[in-house]
Amino acid sequence: MPRSTTASVAFAVAAKDLKVELRTKTAFVSSLVFAVLVLAVLYFARDKTTVGDFDLAPGALWVTFTFAGMLGLNRAFLLERENRALDGLRLTPASATGIFLGKVMGNLVFLGVVELVSLPLFILFYDVPIWSQLPILVAVIAMATVGFVAVGTLLSAMVVRTRFSEVMLPVLLLPFLVPPIVSAVQLTWRILALRPLSELTGWLSLLGSFDIIFFTLSLMLFEAILVE
Amino acid sequence: MPASPSIRVREVSRRFGHRWVVRKVSLDIVPGEAVMLIGGNGAGKTTLLRVLAGLLKPSKGTIELTGTVGMVAHHTMMYDALTARENLAFFARLHGVPRDEWLDHLLELLGLSHVAHERIGTFSRGMLQRLAIARSLLHRPDVLLLDEPLSGLDDAAAQVVLQVIQELKSRGASLVIATHQLVELVSVAERVGIMVQGALVALEPIEGRDAAAVVARYRELVTHAA
Repeated sequence: MPRSTTASVAFAVAAKDLKVELRTKTAFVSSLVFAVLVLAVLYFARDKTTVGDFDLAPGALWVTFTFAGMLGLNRAFLLERENRALDGLRLTPASATGIFLGKVMGNLVFLGVVELVSLPLFILFYDVPIWSQLPILVAVIAMATVGFVAVGTLLSAMVVRTRFSEVMLPVLLLPFLVPPIVSAVQLTWRILALRPLSELTGWLSLLGSFDIIFFTLSLMLFEAILVE
Repeated sequence: MPASPSIRVREVSRRFGHRWVVRKVSLDIVPGEAVMLIGGNGAGKTTLLRVLAGLLKPSKGTIELTGTVGMVAHHTMMYDALTARENLAFFARLHGVPRDEWLDHLLELLGLSHVAHERIGTFSRGMLQRLAIARSLLHRPDVLLLDEPLSGLDDAAAQVVLQVIQELKSRGASLVIATHQLVELVSVAERVGIMVQGALVALEPIEGRDAAAVVARYRELVTHAA
């Protein structure tokens, strides 16, 4: 009997999640509306004479990404609760590693699209010199998103069987996100302020370390979480 | 020499909190045999099947299963936003089984070819049940656990499912069927297990395919237990 490989399981799970999201568009639309709303509210709520774009832009960007991403992460395992589909996954020989990687891939694509759509809006609202710094800024966004998604996917699986899982996820996830989000905000501010690369390395190391440690931990713990 | 069991359950119990839902269940099922589990609501049939499937860990006891396991439960375990074929293709991929022809065969067998490309969110209860049965057969399981397999099915579909069960048995699969529909399923099972308050109080051969005798025995045991 042929067996599925970790890679084939991961791609199948990611493709399925994205196909379902493309059909329903529930999480994408709510994330996008939320992102536009936050960027706009923060822009119009400030007094431009006292709070400059540089002061507000990094925080606005990461508040938007974090909470818009949370809406998507919530959806990732709620989908598996529907009709007890998670049991269907567990009845197959698919490895927990494959399922986790598939979920992470699906969430990365989802969040990547939300970020891709939000970034031009951010540029529109905030007058910051982004174009020359775009490659390094995109790299920081990618690094922070990987850590965010890895921990978020694990915790999303953990809370999905609880009542009020939509409330539980932010409560559990936000404390874990302090290191990557603070690093990302600090890096974004320095990048937009055209600071030298030497000022970025410490925060980049912190962000990179968070990604490696928490991605590995999430991967190792996921199997235990799947068992009821 | 008797065939070695493909399902060997020893003193299995499962509790939720302080409540024991399955109590010290032991049974062996050999290849090609079907055991029907009957019992009232809350007797522990579904929990026992979920423990056998590996979806729940037993609180006590051991389970040995030989070969691959398939399961049909109360829920479809599939995605409403995907079509019937997409759902089957997804689970086939996770099982690592070749897809196209086998999927078409299963859809045809269970009378779902005409709705293969429709989202299952629009399906009736009976259609979902047939699709769930198709999903459980994707990897040609050696052990099949069926929880109310005829629920929601019309007579024609029920006959197809009974035929599928016979075919599975003839190629050596072992089946555990939890049901309230004794009359229909008594024709395919070799033994009946009667569950009362989480315990398997009787496991007996079905003589003469007589559903009335099984019901009478069940009532006798329930009265005795009360």
